[in-house]
Amino acid sequence: MRAFLNLLRLSWLQLARHRVRSLLTVLGVASGMFLFTSVETLQRSLARATETSAADTLLVVYRENRFCPSTSRLPENYADEIRRLPGVREVIPVQVVVNNCGASLDVITFRGVPADQFTRFAPEIRFIEGSEEEWQRRDDGALLGEVFARRRGLSTGDRFDAAGVTVTVSGVLSSPNAQDNNVAYVQLPFLQQASRAGLGVVTQFNVRVESSGDVATVSAAIDEHFRSAQEPTDTRPEKAFFAETAAELVELIGFTRWLGVGAVAAVAALVANALLLVVRGRVKENAVLRTLGYPGRAIACLVVGEGGLLGLAGGAAGVGIAAGFLRWQSFTMGNEGQTLAVQPDLAVIATGIAAGLALGILASLWPAFQAIRQPIVHSLRH
Amino acid sequence: MNAPMIRCRQLTKSYRKGKTVVTPLEALDLDVPAGEFLALMGPSGSGKTTLLNLLSGIDSPTAGSLEIAGEDIARLSRRELTAWRARHVGYIFQLYHLVPVLTAFENVELPLLLSKLSKKERHARVATALDLVGLGDRVHHVPAELSGGQEQRVAIARAIVANPSLLVADEPTGDLDRDSAARILDLLRGLARDHGKTIVMVTHDARAAAAADRTLHLEKGQLLGDACGHS
Repeated sequence: MRAFLNLLRLSWLQLARHRVRSLLTVLGVASGMFLFTSVETLQRSLARATETSAADTLLVVYRENRFCPSTSRLPENYADEIRRLPGVREVIPVQVVVNNCGASLDVITFRGVPADQFTRFAPEIRFIEGSEEEWQRRDDGALLGEVFARRRGLSTGDRFDAAGVTVTVSGVLSSPNAQDNNVAYVQLPFLQQASRAGLGVVTQFNVRVESSGDVATVSAAIDEHFRSAQEPTDTRPEKAFFAETAAELVELIGFTRWLGVGAVAAVAALVANALLLVVRGRVKENAVLRTLGYPGRAIACLVVGEGGLLGLAGGAAGVGIAAGFLRWQSFTMGNEGQTLAVQPDLAVIATGIAAGLALGILASLWPAFQAIRQPIVHSLRH
Repeated sequence: MNAPMIRCRQLTKSYRKGKTVVTPLEALDLDVPAGEFLALMGPSGSGKTTLLNLLSGIDSPTAGSLEIAGEDIARLSRRELTAWRARHVGYIFQLYHLVPVLTAFENVELPLLLSKLSKKERHARVATALDLVGLGDRVHHVPAELSGGQEQRVAIARAIVANPSLLVADEPTGDLDRDSAARILDLLRGLARDHGKTIVMVTHDARAAAAADRTLHLEKGQLLGDACGHS
């Protein structure tokens, strides 16, 4: 172990004292890892929003054959009928207003919900600023999801205007449900009037079922119940609803995976090339070390150590810059009223740094082999 | 009589170069007692460096036996030979071959990095070796900040820091001015006389060879005269 740490220190000295070359390589690796992290963040944000789990109990009831909030119109009194169906625990009518129904990087979504039902329907919500009472006191009060508030730089007491709706921020909330963090919750009657949808009309119903095992049967029961109604419904689990409604967005994000693969390949090629040049420039130096009694595996370890450190430094820099940039920008992608906050999490950061290290090590294996391949005598004559 | 430090019998080295077989050393017999400072002279291509490479264990003989400190290193595997080199041999190159980005101290520390010595023990040994070559005040200088003579003294400190019994030197004064060369030769002589190191030095320079206890001449892979002390 002591010998390994000494070799690692030697690798570090070689990098630290060839500063320009090392910095340029780290910069190249960081650029690739920035792209990789951005893509990975997109992929994971999408996975969080669309991959259903055994614990999911939330359904979205939408107007059949409608895909945009402005065209999905359902009678608010459907809520009472849905509530009576077996397996339903809670129902909340939601009016959705967005500033842009198409694909956008800066979507503002208002969700109008009955003030007295909001926290009962979503008890997992936590207030970072303000309170529910403050929100209920003002007709134009808005509770902002934390990502939304950060993106727009808003806090309690601020007023803002979007999609023809002017509101006052009553609080900022945080939720384990990604969608809640990207929207502004306002009181239902206020939004119905402000958006001119009209009282008694909502965009959708969010339905909480008793257990995840009830998801399929309750969905089918709701749609069956309203099959002959003037406004038939289409009920899906919330995440499936997102995946289908924002299908174009999902497809686009799926494509970005190839950009990530390209970034990884570029990083590996860059490190391998840098180390091959290093090894070629150090043929004699390595032969001297072997003359001093360094076994081939120690020389290989030095090369791999340099590769690993370059990958780690570049990976940490690229991941750090990407994470900072994405948090600072707080991008929210939107399509057909569905929002996707592009937020790096710890798993993405850990994956990025580990990927940088792994790529550095993998890319240095061939140069390491090259470093020990030649007999000492031959290398000393180089 | 004690067994010699180095004992070569019928030592042969040949290799293929294209379609021809080259034999730079052929059936060489040589004994070197412990603590002797031996100079090897001869024209280019006479096999001096090949012999040095065999004695230092960086190359293996094609035939014959090569005993150093009682161990036949011709029979050692590559891995065993590497470990043997680390324990028993210090190599001094003509062009010093210091690692350019490392300080004098770090260069001398290199042979100890794979040992089991603690950092404190390593540093004590490096300091002693640098003091011995008279460079205790240059420890933080990189090779580019040292003169040729100082670089060679760092290389000697690196060669002796692991306390090997055998030092091999390939034209250690070949790239130095006369004064620097004289200091290096004094240093080598002192290492043999005062510290009991066995030194085998290849040189083209008769003045350098004169500093050694004994000088042998190689020609066409053969030693001229009796190199085993047979009467």
